[in-house]
Amino acid sequence: MLEYRAYEQIERYLNNNMPSEERASFEALLRTDLRLAGQVQEHKQLLQAMQQYGKRSALKAQLDTIHTSMDVATVRESASVIPMWKTYLKRHTRTMAVAASVSMLSVFGTLWTVQQLKKPVQQQTARYIELRREVELLKKAQTALLNDITDATKPAPRPAAFSGTGFAISAEGYLVTSSHVVENADSILIENKAGAKYKAREVYRDETSDLSILKVEDVSFSGFGKLPYTFKKSEADLGESVYTLGFPREDVVFGEGSLSSSSGFEGDTTAYQISIPLNPGNSGGPLLDERGNLIGVISGKQAGQEGAAFAIKSAYLLQMINEIPPSATPTPLALPKKNLLAGASRPQQLKKLQDFIFIVKVYN
Amino acid sequence: MKKSLYETDEEIIAGIRNGEEHALSFLYKLHFPMISFFILNNSGSHDEAKDVYQEGIIVFYEKIKDNSLELSCQIKTYLYSVCRRLWLKKLAEKGRYASRIEDSEDFLPVLEDTEAHDEQENQFDAMASAMEEIGEPCRTLLEDFYIRLQNMQDITEKFGYTNTDTAKNQKYKCLQRLKKIFFTAYKPIA
Repeated sequence: MLEYRAYEQIERYLNNNMPSEERASFEALLRTDLRLAGQVQEHKQLLQAMQQYGKRSALKAQLDTIHTSMDVATVRESASVIPMWKTYLKRHTRTMAVAASVSMLSVFGTLWTVQQLKKPVQQQTARYIELRREVELLKKAQTALLNDITDATKPAPRPAAFSGTGFAISAEGYLVTSSHVVENADSILIENKAGAKYKAREVYRDETSDLSILKVEDVSFSGFGKLPYTFKKSEADLGESVYTLGFPREDVVFGEGSLSSSSGFEGDTTAYQISIPLNPGNSGGPLLDERGNLIGVISGKQAGQEGAAFAIKSAYLLQMINEIPPSATPTPLALPKKNLLAGASRPQQLKKLQDFIFIVKVYN
Repeated sequence: MKKSLYETDEEIIAGIRNGEEHALSFLYKLHFPMISFFILNNSGSHDEAKDVYQEGIIVFYEKIKDNSLELSCQIKTYLYSVCRRLWLKKLAEKGRYASRIEDSEDFLPVLEDTEAHDEQENQFDAMASAMEEIGEPCRTLLEDFYIRLQNMQDITEKFGYTNTDTAKNQKYKCLQRLKKIFFTAYKPIA
């Protein structure tokens, strides 16, 4: 049995109150005496437990004081302040989450299904868009074609003859054709159905409206004679029956149709759209209505589009004629005033017209 | 309420660390309703609520005191988690497994904290019962010396011993008894 002095020694050791020599000898003793070491260990634990106990009972006492200082009534009241929905919410969160997921799923599922059902319609829309794009492409092709025609810088691959159509606008030997027909022309030759051949020269051109005024320059030329048609100043009506004469080949060709739109290619308001099948060579030909009024000048057609051709409105032709500087016209340009075609049947009209429609041959 | 004094969790923790009684008292009063509500809702009584809450506070307090608390959430959540765990354990001990716990708050798994606490609680209980068993004057003598850290002279006078040697001898005998009782009740995990 350890005496209390031995205990005191242990306590001194544990509290680090030993002088260093005593401590060293005590530690040496601890290493050899296992019983003593056990005692020390046990004592240490006991003291720790006691201190722990002390601290904790003090804390508990403190908490008890705090607790009793709380007004019991307010405690109970405040306990019930925590709303019931909170526990309710906690208890049912999972159920609610599942319900929410299910409803979300069904909503989106329905949406998806509806979308699936709608798909054919959508495909149709897509085809429509594609079609439009195709049209767009065609438009571009058309522009490219026109550009190609009007590109002045592009050298001709070989000296070749182009041909178009032209028609007289005054008895003095003035006639009109499309600018692009006489582009880069070295010499121009006009020839009508009757076989009259004249050399001509371009006296004025308006690139924007694609119109050119030619003047016959032949010594043998004595005048066209009285022109049977007049120029319409106002705009022609939609759906009017119209026709043209032209030279898509060596012989004159009649083409008939109706005025299908009061604007031309890509909404060009200076032109009409007409439903006459036209071919290269028709350019520059006259467009006439049923009473023999000249309402336009054939200018071109839309690539890949059947029955859509364009003609410059006569109003712009007249405007252009007015703009011709006097220096460009050696002899004054007198427009015909009397219409000799009105009331005549179509073949009669054509017979009278033929002499004033020319094939314009261009050499370069 | 001294709400203005400790507005944030950090202020409360700093207060407790500095040994401010107000801080502890404030914290205690702040969250008691929550725990009491929880215990009462899960087949507990007011006294049980108080016990569990105090244990929870002790876990928290001691962790703060020895700087081992790594709080990754609000104090509120931590206390709730600890108390919840303690109460579940108590219910299990009573043989009443709670099939469904009605929670009003979020909680974290605080297994490590509560297990360390259980261990200490065992030790505490063993010590408490040992102290109880050795009876007076041994208990007060030991408490005065080891816990209240009074010197031997004062103790000698207080208990009316003739001299300090007698007191020391008496203390030695008391300690011997305490040790015996304590270590039979408490087997430390060596």
